[in-house]
Amino acid sequence: MNNKSTLSAERRNKTILSVVLTVICVIYVLPVLTVVLNSFKLNTYVKTDTFALPKGEMWAGFDNFIKGMTFGNYPFWKSVVYSVVITLLSTALILLFTSMAAWYIARVNSIACKAIYFLCVFSMVVPFQMVMFTLSKTADALRLNTPWTIPIVYLGFGAGLAIFMFVGFVKSIPLEIEEAAAIDGCGPLRTYFSVVFPMLKPTMISVGILEIMWVWNDYLLPVLVLDINEYRTIPIHIQYLKGSYGTVDLGATMALILLSIIPVIVFYLSCQKHIIKGVASGAVKG
Amino acid sequence: MKKILALILCLAMVFALAACGEKPAAETKGEENGAAAGSVYWLNFKPESDEVLQKVAELYTSKTGVPVKVVTAASGTYSQTLTSEMDKSSAPTLFVVGTQAGVKDWADYALDLTGTPIAQELNTDAYNLYDENGKLVSIGYCYECYGIIVNPDLLEKAGHSLDEIKNFETLKAVAEDIHARAEELGFDAFSSSDMDPSSSWRFTGHMANLEYFYEERDAGGWTECPATLTGAYMDNFKNLYDLCINNSLTDPKDLATGGHDAENEFKTGKAVFFVNGSWEYGAVSEAVPNATMIPYYCGVEGEEKAGLNCGTENCWAINGKASEADQKATMDFLVWCVTDPEASRMLVDSFGVMPYTHAAESTNGFLAAANEYSNNGCYVMDWATNYQPNVDDYRAALVSALNAYNADQSAENWATVVTAFVDGWATQYQNANG
Amino acid sequence: MNKQSPLRRFWKTPLRRWAWLFLGPVTAAFAIGFVWPFLQGIWLSFCKFKLIKDAKFVGFSNYAKALTDPSFMHSFWYTALFALVSLVLINVLAFAVALALTQGIRGSNLFRTVFFMPNLIGGIVLGYIWSMIFDGILSRYGTSILMETKYGFWGLIILMCWQQIGYMMIIYIAGLQAVPGDMLEAAKIDGANKWQTLFRVTIPNVMPSITICTFLGLTNGFKLFDQNLALTAGQPFLIQADGSSIKTTEMLALNIYNTFYTSNSASQGTAQAKAVLFFILVAGLGLAQLAFTRKREVQQ
Repeated sequence: MNNKSTLSAERRNKTILSVVLTVICVIYVLPVLTVVLNSFKLNTYVKTDTFALPKGEMWAGFDNFIKGMTFGNYPFWKSVVYSVVITLLSTALILLFTSMAAWYIARVNSIACKAIYFLCVFSMVVPFQMVMFTLSKTADALRLNTPWTIPIVYLGFGAGLAIFMFVGFVKSIPLEIEEAAAIDGCGPLRTYFSVVFPMLKPTMISVGILEIMWVWNDYLLPVLVLDINEYRTIPIHIQYLKGSYGTVDLGATMALILLSIIPVIVFYLSCQKHIIKGVASGAVKG
Repeated sequence: MKKILALILCLAMVFALAACGEKPAAETKGEENGAAAGSVYWLNFKPESDEVLQKVAELYTSKTGVPVKVVTAASGTYSQTLTSEMDKSSAPTLFVVGTQAGVKDWADYALDLTGTPIAQELNTDAYNLYDENGKLVSIGYCYECYGIIVNPDLLEKAGHSLDEIKNFETLKAVAEDIHARAEELGFDAFSSSDMDPSSSWRFTGHMANLEYFYEERDAGGWTECPATLTGAYMDNFKNLYDLCINNSLTDPKDLATGGHDAENEFKTGKAVFFVNGSWEYGAVSEAVPNATMIPYYCGVEGEEKAGLNCGTENCWAINGKASEADQKATMDFLVWCVTDPEASRMLVDSFGVMPYTHAAESTNGFLAAANEYSNNGCYVMDWATNYQPNVDDYRAALVSALNAYNADQSAENWATVVTAFVDGWATQYQNANG
Repeated sequence: MNKQSPLRRFWKTPLRRWAWLFLGPVTAAFAIGFVWPFLQGIWLSFCKFKLIKDAKFVGFSNYAKALTDPSFMHSFWYTALFALVSLVLINVLAFAVALALTQGIRGSNLFRTVFFMPNLIGGIVLGYIWSMIFDGILSRYGTSILMETKYGFWGLIILMCWQQIGYMMIIYIAGLQAVPGDMLEAAKIDGANKWQTLFRVTIPNVMPSITICTFLGLTNGFKLFDQNLALTAGQPFLIQADGSSIKTTEMLALNIYNTFYTSNSASQGTAQAKAVLFFILVAGLGLAQLAFTRKREVQQ
């Protein structure tokens, strides 16, 4: 009898838990839903009827989206292109070069390697504010202020975590495989690209995810380094909507915010597993 | 890639021009400039004139082949942008030094403009800024006016007329009457006075000027930023400010985060009064053709003789540390701006009046109103606001204090506004000069 | 095992010849993106300058100015309080959610997906989303998030909870899944009730996750910038009797940014000094974490 009641109590508990979680879940989605609602609302109603459905005279149709395209004296598609270019280039650069460096550091392990490794780990605890002023000057002097060159800055400032994670992984790979390749007459380059590189795949994905999330959402580094009057990433564009150019159109702002989070959500849903794994491994080590 | 493309385009245009054969003198002159290999980089501080400046720049490049880049800082970030841009390898060759605080900061980096071709084109010295050594740091390229924009048609609909408004008392009577009957009339007295960054400068920069101006007048005119303010006219500032927030479409409690479109409210006939300046003429006159402007009446003795707030923050300074070729290219560009009929027409239409002998005539109705006041013997309220010892920080603090006051119009909260206004000035002065 | 075979040594030599390719790009970028700006930053913190080219050495006066700046001290305490409160709230909630999601309820995956989602949205965008929501609520009561420090504070806490709980939850789930099932079973057989099992068995076993999340939460709190800028940007200000003002919801990172870019250009040296102090603080937290984790590993 005792057993039975605990069982049913357990089932009841689980139901309660499910209900509670569902409620939290709904609350969690609400902010995004509010953005969707307001992106279809006329500017004047965003403030007064934030949580109402955009119906009747509030309904703005797709006007906000159309207006948002050129809102703030800057075409939105440009910021999308720049964001994509910067994120992809930076991530590619970081993955390629830090994994190569990490392999070298782990295998050669000379004093210079140890020094570089130590510096990388050290850079992980340095907040961006420490270097933001001087970094933006250095980057400008070296003309790293375009979407095509800023990835070098990301490679430099973001190398720490990537190298740390790669070195940790390379050390766990047994040397024998590479030695076999060496005996077969592979030079270091071929050994790296045809033997080591494929083995690094799981860490590549984790590091890649972390870097994509970082670069895509980053605001302060690009705003200080890029020539922002020509090149604005999405976060910069959205921040500038608020502070400039006469009256702020909240409806159009919400439309742009919606447009900017849709790709993120699609990306997330399509590689959810990798993202969650990548984030967890990055956190555990970082 | 884009730069190369732009370069090719520029070259193509130069060649196209060269192929035109015989040209009038002015154009030939322009082409020589192109050969000088200098370029112009104008760091503009006024978002609302960005569009026109881009067009003027394009026009100049297409005529002469000299590349002109115009970059506009977001509102409230000009000094920050200037500071970072000046440190860059390709620093602005032309920038704006419109206030005494700016002169203090940037005089060392500016070319002395005394006797230069652009200075010779000027028809007045009134809008020029000198540093303490008498160096001509920057020269005004236009002047503007601000005050209270009025829709006379609505005023009449409400049973009042412009002639009624002679001073603060009469303004107050009209505004309060309209506000009281707002529902029945279908419009209100003042449009919203949002305190978000896109609108707060109308109060912290412009309306605040009435306090500075009368103080300056009592002191017999300022020549440099005073270390302290007396705050003698704070009550007058309060008069007008209170009138403005309490007789408007929007509950003052709701102003802090903005989101009301004051310009649109005025244009669509929802409000009679709109605190703003002459640069709004283009936008407003389409919807309200006979809109005009009245002074900041605030209860000062003799204000029946007050005129509009005329002045400028728009003063060109040339980067003295730029290369010689760039300085020359910039100078040529400036002279062209104020002499070329087409360019000066475009600039004047956007800026108001340009105080240059050969510049186009203004068509701005608000500036015409300003002239009318002057012609009738009213005193011009000049822009003492330009002496603000620090723009961004000082105004941000003022906004915060006004926010608190808007939410609760207590004596205590007003005292905080006064502190931010008067003592804040002294503190910022200390920071800048101490 | 620690002695390398001759083959291994032989094999290393050709690899060294390729050092320029393997290490070159990262080292160069690292020098540009980190080492040089870092060293220059330390040097400039001892200088007075408007433009870097005219820097003049002034000793420790920047540090003296930074430490006597009431707005800096305010932002320090405000940040510390914020970091602490957000740390506790986020971790407790994330742990609770993680615990709930490891009970084998149907739809756990869906819940996990939803809870983690806000993490991918950038700080600036998050700030505007929430500023609209808070505005929509507070404007009904004739106020706004910019009006009161406490609104700004709790607003930011809510925002951070929304964003971070999912992240911490993932780490806790990983920790909870690693708790040995037989230990839980044994506790059940011994007649331990749920709370006893939680505190005596589960929590000690997920201590590594707790340590990670604690430090992660602390450093996140201290380094917060984007969300702070987008939500309140420091409003409301406290206007002091001498006319200076303290931005009451301004956190350390934003304070440093504002000192660099919006206040007087004479104060950039002070800003850099603040940045160095900030670095020491954050690095200190990092070292503390390292020491703490090491100690725990030794004990286990």
